[in-house]
Formats: sequence, structure tokens, C-alpha cells
Amino acid sequence: MESFKEAVDISLFWEYRSLLLGGLAFNFYTWISALVLVHVMGFSMCMMRLSRVGACRAVGTAYAELFRNTPEYILLTWVHFVLPLLLSVLLQTRLNFPPFLSAVLALGLAYSGYMVETYRSGIQAVPKGHIEAGRALGMSSIDITFRIVLPQAIRNVLPEMLNQMVSLFKATTLVSLIAVPDLLYNVVIVTQEEMRPLPLYTWAAIVYCVIIFTASTLVRWLTERWRSRGWA
Amino acid sequence: METLAAGTARRDASPVPSDKGLAKAAEDAVVLRVSDVHKAFGDLKVLNGISFDLRRGDVMSVIGASGSGKSTLLRCINQLDPPTAGEIYLNGVPFGFRVDASGKRTPDSLSNINRLRQDVGMVFQQFNLWPHMSVLRNITEAPVRVRKMAKAEARELAEQLLAKVNLLDKRDEYPARLSGGQQQRVAIARALAMNPKVMMFDEATSSLDPELTGEVLDVMRGLGEEGMTMLVVTHEMGFAREASNRVMFIHEGRVEEDGPPEQVFDNPKSERCRAFLSKSYR
Ligand SMILES: Nc1ncnc2c1ncn2[C@@H]1O[C@H](COP(=O)(O)OP(=O)(O)O)[C@@H](O)[C@H]1O
Ligand SMILES: [Mg+2]
Repeated sequence: MESFKEAVDISLFWEYRSLLLGGLAFNFYTWISALVLVHVMGFSMCMMRLSRVGACRAVGTAYAELFRNTPEYILLTWVHFVLPLLLSVLLQTRLNFPPFLSAVLALGLAYSGYMVETYRSGIQAVPKGHIEAGRALGMSSIDITFRIVLPQAIRNVLPEMLNQMVSLFKATTLVSLIAVPDLLYNVVIVTQEEMRPLPLYTWAAIVYCVIIFTASTLVRWLTERWRSRGWA
Repeated sequence: METLAAGTARRDASPVPSDKGLAKAAEDAVVLRVSDVHKAFGDLKVLNGISFDLRRGDVMSVIGASGSGKSTLLRCINQLDPPTAGEIYLNGVPFGFRVDASGKRTPDSLSNINRLRQDVGMVFQQFNLWPHMSVLRNITEAPVRVRKMAKAEARELAEQLLAKVNLLDKRDEYPARLSGGQQQRVAIARALAMNPKVMMFDEATSSLDPELTGEVLDVMRGLGEEGMTMLVVTHEMGFAREASNRVMFIHEGRVEEDGPPEQVFDNPKSERCRAFLSKSYR
């Protein structure tokens, strides 16, 4: 009972709020930056995967399989500790990745693997006739891709895409392992100072849970609305 | 009856071979030339040497059994499925190929093909409107993106065309909220917005409920009367007989009949055409 009261006591968490919430900001920075990478790589590798050129198709497929099947945690440590070493040897200079860069790279790559498949299923659900109508009017491939196919494709897979974005946010809690100063990392630091782990870890869990619950609920609510309008 | 009169007038303008000047003028009026076009998908030979000329103002109906290659012919013409052999010319310009200095034929660049596609309107059986765009944007999209028309001008043009197909009040609707007949009329307006030299229709009324085919056929008939050059794949024998000045019957990728409707319908030379027609009228 004592320890339960200790666990939910918010005073210590509150005392360090600016440091801890500053850490939370790093979760968001990592999330946003990784998201950019996820969509840029996810979309371009999807284009490769759907290309008419066999070699491009192979690259796209290999990319998606590689990153979908490697656990984020492994990728995170590999990108942070192994990749700089390999590059150092290759470029003949001593190289180190700042933790934030490694985190964005690793999480971005990991989730872009899923995003390749998400884009692909969205694009393949666009009826061929819609593309042919554009071609018959003399539209360029770029206009057809960006004005006819993609808007429909994204609409087809929007709920799935948003869910993946929520999962990516969950995954940002891993980055403290390579010393990105996020919420959890700061909790560890403060715990070492104060020697009171219970309230800090508990409130960190509550904060993450509330954020992710809110996001998931929002996604579900939006999906319902889109469905009722015949989108998605 | 006006349609028939117009059809006759068009036929009277056919060339007089002895008079070079006239023949030249008629040659100029050839909008679309299809010359010995072949198309195979792998081992499957679908078109086996199709040739015809379409003159300005011609309305040609293409009839034939399902699988005879009618859709493939239209798709070869606008290069959605490039022919395996043979040539297409649009106003005398090679469509889909070019001849280099040594006389060798090579496929044309996509940008050249796209330039020629702008002049060939295509209406599909499944309408193929873009569901994420309003009716108005479906129509203005190509003029703005491809012809680089100013948005306001494109909007005005779209409204004119919508008025023409009797759908001005639907301009801000999304395609999903329209009936099939309405969607197809929007699709016709979308093709017309590029100011094409030829309009091609691939069974434009086949996926419509019977009570909705009339409104689409009326629009097509109207276009023909205005002098639009048209190539119409259809199972509507009434339309083929009354609204076109030429009817072509295709069987296994070959032209078996090509002539005025009276000739093809009332006096076909081909036994197969006769059989096809007797089935179609049953
Ligand atoms: N892209 C394609 N690949 C393979 N076969 C095709 C393709 N398009 C059409 N075909 C075949 O070509 C034949 C003619 O088809 P089509 O031109 O659609 O006939 P129609 O429009 O007269 O009914 C059919 O046997 C069809 O299966
Ligand atoms: Mg067909």
C-alpha cells in the first residue's frame, strides 16, 4: 500500500516537470523527423517496387523485406554502433553518429519498410481505368501519379497509415537506449539523483499511455467518419 | 431524320478520284487513318490487319461480337495498347511511331504521344471519373494540367460543357452521387474539354440501366449532328443505323464489313455479319 501511494505520488514528477517534458519533446522531434523519412523512403521504394524495370522492383522488394523483418531495437543499435564503424572504414575517417541522428535513421528506416507495403496496397486498389482515363487525355505520368493515383491511394489506406504513425510514436520510447535525452532517459537521470524510481517510472508510463490512447482514439474516430462518407 | 440527312451530306463529300484537287482536299479531311494495324498479346492475335480512314464529320459505328477486338482497336489508336504492327495517323501525323533518317520506324516518345492523345477523346464503358474530384474538377483537370489553360477559363469551359450535357446543376457534386447516365455524360464533357479532333466511345452505354442509355445516346447523337468526327463501338443497333454514316463490322480482328448503315444492315456481304445481326436483333 505504501509503495502504491509512492508510485502515484506526482510531486517528484512535477518538481522535475520542465526537464521531463523537455525530454518528451525529444520523443516528438524524433517522431516527426522519422515520419518524414518514413514517407519519403516508403513512397519512393514503393515506386521502385511497382516499377516496370526488374532491377528496380528487386531493390524495392528487398528494401521492404529487410526493414520489415528487422526488429526496431536491433536496427537502432546497429545503426548507432555498427554503421558508423563501417562508414569509418569505408571513408577512411573517424565517424560517429549523434544519438538523435541514429534514432531518426533507424526508426525511419524500420517503419518505412511497412510504409512501402501500405503505399503499395493503396496504389494497387486504384482502378486501372482511372489511370487510363488520365493517359487518354494526354496527362503526364507525374500528374497521373500525384493527382489521380496518390490522393486515392492515401484515402484507401489512411486508417492503416495513421495507425502505423501511432506505432512509430510508441517506438520512439526506445531511443533512450542510445542516449537520446527523451522522457524515459531523463527519468533514469533523475532517478539516479533522487533514488525514488517508483513515481517517476509510473508517471512516465501514464504520460505515454495518455498520449498514445488519445492518438489511437482520434484515429479510430476519424476512420469512422471517413467510412461513413465512403472514403477509406 | 436530320441525322440521316447529315450523314448523306457527309457521304456526298467523298473524293472524286479523277479530280486531283478534290482528291487532295479529301485527303486533307482524313482525320484518322488506321493502316493495317495488328495487335497481339503474346501468342493471342487480337487484331489482324485493320485499315480504314475517318474523314472530318464521319460517325462510324463499330460492331462485332464480344472478344472480336473492338476495344483493342480503340486502345491501339490512342496508344493505350500500342499496335504490334501497322500505322495510325492523326491529321496525317504519325501517332505512336516516328521514322528516323534511315527510314527505320521507332516508337515515339511519351511526350509526343501525349501531345497527340489530347486530340483524341475517349469515353469508357466504366466512365472512369476520378472519385476524389468534383464534377467540375474532373472536367477542368486535363485542360489546366495538360493544355495549361487558365483556371477561370477552364471553369467557364467546363460549365458550358456541363450545360451542353444537361448537368450544370451537378457541377459541385462528387461522381459517386451521380447516376450512371449522369456520370457518363460528365465523362463525355471531360473528353470534350480537350477540344478533340476525334471522339472514341467504347460501349459507352453498356454498363447503364436500360432507362439511362437514352440520355447518353442523345448526347452522342447531338455531337454527331454538330459535325464531330466519331468512332463509336456499340451494341446499340438503333444508334448505329440512325446516327452514324458508316458502320464497320469486325470479326476476329478483321474488318468484314465497312459501309453505309443501309448496306451493312440490310445487305451485308459477309455471312458472319448476317449471323451477328440476326442474333443482335433477336
Ligand atoms: N491486355 C490484354 N492482355 C491479354 N489479352 C487481352 C488484353 N486485352 C484484350 N485481350 C484479349 O483480346 C481479345 C479482344 O478483346 P477486346 O478488344 O476487349 O474485345 P471486344 O472489345 O471486341 O469485346 C479478347 O480475347 C481479350 O481477352
Ligand atoms: Mg470491349
